[in-house]
Amino acid sequence: MAHPDLRSYLSALDAHGQLLRWQDRVDPEPDLGAAARAVSNLTDRGPALLFDSITGYERGRVALNAVGSWPNHALMLGLPPETPVKDQFFEFARRWDDFPVAVERRTDPPWAELSLDEGIDLFQLLPLFRLNSWDVGCYIDKALVITRDPDDPDHFGKQNVGIYRMQVKDVDTLGIQPLPTHDAGLHLRRAEQRGQHLPVAIAIGNEPVITTVGGMPLNHDESEYEMAGAIQGEPYRIAAAPLTGLDVPWGAEVVLEGEMLAGVREVEGPFGEFTGHYSGGRRQPVIRIRKVSYRPDPIFEHLYLGMPWTEMDYTLALNTSVPLHRQLKAEFPEVVAVNAMYTQGLLAIVSVKQRYGGFGKAVGMRAMTTPHGLGYCKVVIVVDETVDPFNLAQVMWALSVKFHPRHDTVTVPNASVLPLDPSSDPPGITDKVVLDATTPIAPDTRGHYSQTVEAPERTAEWEQALKEMLR
Amino acid sequence: MSRNTDLTCPRCDTADVRVLTRSPVPGAWEMYSCRVCLYSWRSTEPDSARIPATYPAAFKLDPAEIDALPVVPALPD
Repeated sequence: MAHPDLRSYLSALDAHGQLLRWQDRVDPEPDLGAAARAVSNLTDRGPALLFDSITGYERGRVALNAVGSWPNHALMLGLPPETPVKDQFFEFARRWDDFPVAVERRTDPPWAELSLDEGIDLFQLLPLFRLNSWDVGCYIDKALVITRDPDDPDHFGKQNVGIYRMQVKDVDTLGIQPLPTHDAGLHLRRAEQRGQHLPVAIAIGNEPVITTVGGMPLNHDESEYEMAGAIQGEPYRIAAAPLTGLDVPWGAEVVLEGEMLAGVREVEGPFGEFTGHYSGGRRQPVIRIRKVSYRPDPIFEHLYLGMPWTEMDYTLALNTSVPLHRQLKAEFPEVVAVNAMYTQGLLAIVSVKQRYGGFGKAVGMRAMTTPHGLGYCKVVIVVDETVDPFNLAQVMWALSVKFHPRHDTVTVPNASVLPLDPSSDPPGITDKVVLDATTPIAPDTRGHYSQTVEAPERTAEWEQALKEMLR
Repeated sequence: MSRNTDLTCPRCDTADVRVLTRSPVPGAWEMYSCRVCLYSWRSTEPDSARIPATYPAAFKLDPAEIDALPVVPALPD
């Protein structure tokens, strides 16, 4: 069943013991960032955190780590919390095939209850806080940023829903990082070529499926809302934002509206990024907020990121792995599964049934030349179809016994990678490597792999029986 | 906790600092913002975030370097 909004999702987490309500008062810094860092450090099955007493606020509420564990990720998809990662991967891939699912347009969004056109102060509205010690200020980093293509404003699919980091620079002003390769960057460029500001809506505090889809590498003319409908299994609810007419999630906590200012670039950053390193400072675009619509006592849902793993690694895990899987499988149907969860796929693991000797290496190199691989896939580990790429114990076993450094290493010099990869030199250029940990087959016959130790008879039955007893 | 009463920016060491906002519950905290490098901080943060002498050198910014920072995305011709 789909969660219509963040509050519904948090209730579902609560019902499964996956929401921790912290009721003692906390300081914005360093406590909120530290708590989110801590819960990621402890476990990959941990809870979301909900704080409702923040120093300086009457009724400030902050939700952190909403999807920051595998049980929470499963509950996002309406699956039992114990669903293994590999099963979540296959279910996510299956639902992707249902794209597009037409949206449900509504005129009664809860966020329309209250609004402000003057005297906007985002710090009064939401308990904004610094995440990591040397971030330049407070950021909004999990909100949906919605823009239309100025060259084709009526095209629903070209309306973009993306997630971009935004520095809160003033009570009504944000800095934003829309890279030229992002759809929002393309929309801004087209607006600037016309000498026009780019209207923008920003939806804060959403149910997690649209947030996950916002990070997907969809084509420019593919609607994130129609994909969210596919992933959640029913039409996605949207409503028109009052100032800009942009379509925003019906269930949002807060909707900001304004414009990206044409021709303006202003100092932004640094910000602790998903690579585990701070980005430097750059001169980047600026958004002026003109209108704010919000629910009473809105929840500020925020995302901690920094040294992996953090919530961001869960939210990007399958929406990175599934497109790579689809692109590889289109040409090589022997590909079984792809785990590209490590730093957005800078390292990826592919399981494949080999056609003939050398096949695993070819699949590994193809991963590097997929659209996502051009900026990622610096290290590709290839394993047999019998190895679960989401089970690192199995992957490490394959690397330790199947991989022969002299025969199974393929290095690609001077390949492209995202410039944020701190090892790239110059930024954006790196060598890449395939580590082929598949079993050599003819004509690549070598090693001694004939006598594997199979599980004793009835092991599967015992697994099931023990699992039941452990429930 | 020591107070940054002279309101010098901890990051770029200029004195062009303003009050950004105040806590909804009066008296809990103030936030400040540097007009030059746009660093902002809260009065209740640890010293290292507020006091220029304790702000780490690696994260300091010389105001003269701002104009040379990369422009992303580039402006159209």
